Amino acid sequence: MKKNVDVSIPLGPVHPCWKEPVRLKCETSGERVLRTEVELGYMKKGIERIMRGRPWQEVMFLAERVCGICSVVHNMVFIEAMEGISGIAVPPRAAYLRVIVNELDRVASHILANFSYCYTIEHETLGMYLLNVRETVLDNLERITGSRINTAYMIPGGVRFDLTEADKAALLADLVKVEADMHRYVRMFETGPLIALRSKGIGIMSRERAIEAHAVGPTARASGLPESDLRLCHPTYQKLGFTPISRTEGDNFARIMIRFQEVFQSIDLIRKCVDRLGEGDSIRGGGFCGAGEITYRGEAPRGELTYYIKSDEYGRILDIAIRTPSIMNIEACAHYMITDATSVADVTSTFISSDPCIACNER
Amino acid sequence: MSILQKIKNTVRSRSIHVAYVDVGSCNGCDIEVLACLAPRYDIEQYGIYVHNNPREADVLLVIGSMTPQWVDKLQDIWEKIPEPKVAIAIGNCPISGCVFNRWHSYIEPPVAKYIPIAAQVPGCPPRPTEILNAILALAPTLFNDYEEKKQK
Repeated sequence: MKKNVDVSIPLGPVHPCWKEPVRLKCETSGERVLRTEVELGYMKKGIERIMRGRPWQEVMFLAERVCGICSVVHNMVFIEAMEGISGIAVPPRAAYLRVIVNELDRVASHILANFSYCYTIEHETLGMYLLNVRETVLDNLERITGSRINTAYMIPGGVRFDLTEADKAALLADLVKVEADMHRYVRMFETGPLIALRSKGIGIMSRERAIEAHAVGPTARASGLPESDLRLCHPTYQKLGFTPISRTEGDNFARIMIRFQEVFQSIDLIRKCVDRLGEGDSIRGGGFCGAGEITYRGEAPRGELTYYIKSDEYGRILDIAIRTPSIMNIEACAHYMITDATSVADVTSTFISSDPCIACNER
Repeated sequence: MSILQKIKNTVRSRSIHVAYVDVGSCNGCDIEVLACLAPRYDIEQYGIYVHNNPREADVLLVIGSMTPQWVDKLQDIWEKIPEPKVAIAIGNCPISGCVFNRWHSYIEPPVAKYIPIAAQVPGCPPRPTEILNAILALAPTLFNDYEEKKQK
């Protein structure tokens, strides 16, 4: 222990601000936090070990239980990786339906992340408003897929259910409502003087340090790395003319604002997809999952998600490795954002602003 | 029934403090517990407050499939909660391990082996209304006349 360190303050594993168990060790000098260290390992379940040797029909359900918040994108990346191995084509209507469900999930996840931040800086009113908007989004997810959290909507070659006209009308009506509400709440967040005091200029991560720390997702885009958005490489998003957004400040305020901006972007993407649903009728193609090996990447709400899969000719998973975005973001947060923070209260808010998902992280 | 007991009953029926501990879940049940806070379900209208602090809690919600790292820590947390207290298992994971209870996984369900569980809410994940219903159904039967029942 260095001489200038007074006390080592542990935060967690059970902490009022953490939703999941994680431990941060903060080395402090007076009120100032000099550096932090992350201690993980409270939630290791060994999902990848369970997955090995099982048929894809079982692994599909395990894959979406890697993370409950962004379960749709885990489902999507796993299924698209299996399609990549076996050369299964997806009908256009199914591809757009996948994007609709994925973006609804992203909206729900971003709103939850911003709720956590507002709750952590004790702005409970805005947090509750956001949580209520999230319920509307989850209603639509439930109406389309049949479930709120673990949807299992995508299957190789298509999706399970079609979007009926009534559901489509309800979705579009709810999107108008969500957008109007979110505009109001974003204005509240943007112009709140006390929020600005707690958020602006705190936990700054510059572009160079974001590259050095391998930050991904909104955390990287808030530091000026728009090219880190992997939706740019996805064929359906390319057809929709997707362009990522980014900010340059790299502080807590920018990380929350970029999530708010992405909510509006996702709503636009959903509307574009609904317009193009008429390009085909079929929601399911055919095909068999076969032998092969693939590394497939997709953009989760928190950043880049990578699946490495090796399967045999019956579609059994011989080997699988998952890299989730929170691994990089938590390390980037602990080692690059929370250095020389002015108080311990800023440590919790900065950590929450990087949207850590411990269940993803440890699997 | 003494007057003190009557006062205690009245106060306890409108002030239930909840702590939740995640012992290795997929996060799905966590966010359903959080959704109970939303104005649509509004857990606080029943006098239930979610603080996540074991030392002032009455109800402990256990979420997740019990990883070995939690075996001693969960018992510590359970001992820190003041009497009267009750633990509720949320989701399939604390009951059976759900999809994670297979060969080669690192989990040791059920949670009932380690701390006394009063109620179980199955589902993967259960809906917020079901979680709310479990707390509301259990708390009055357990906290009413607690001292008098204890003396008998």
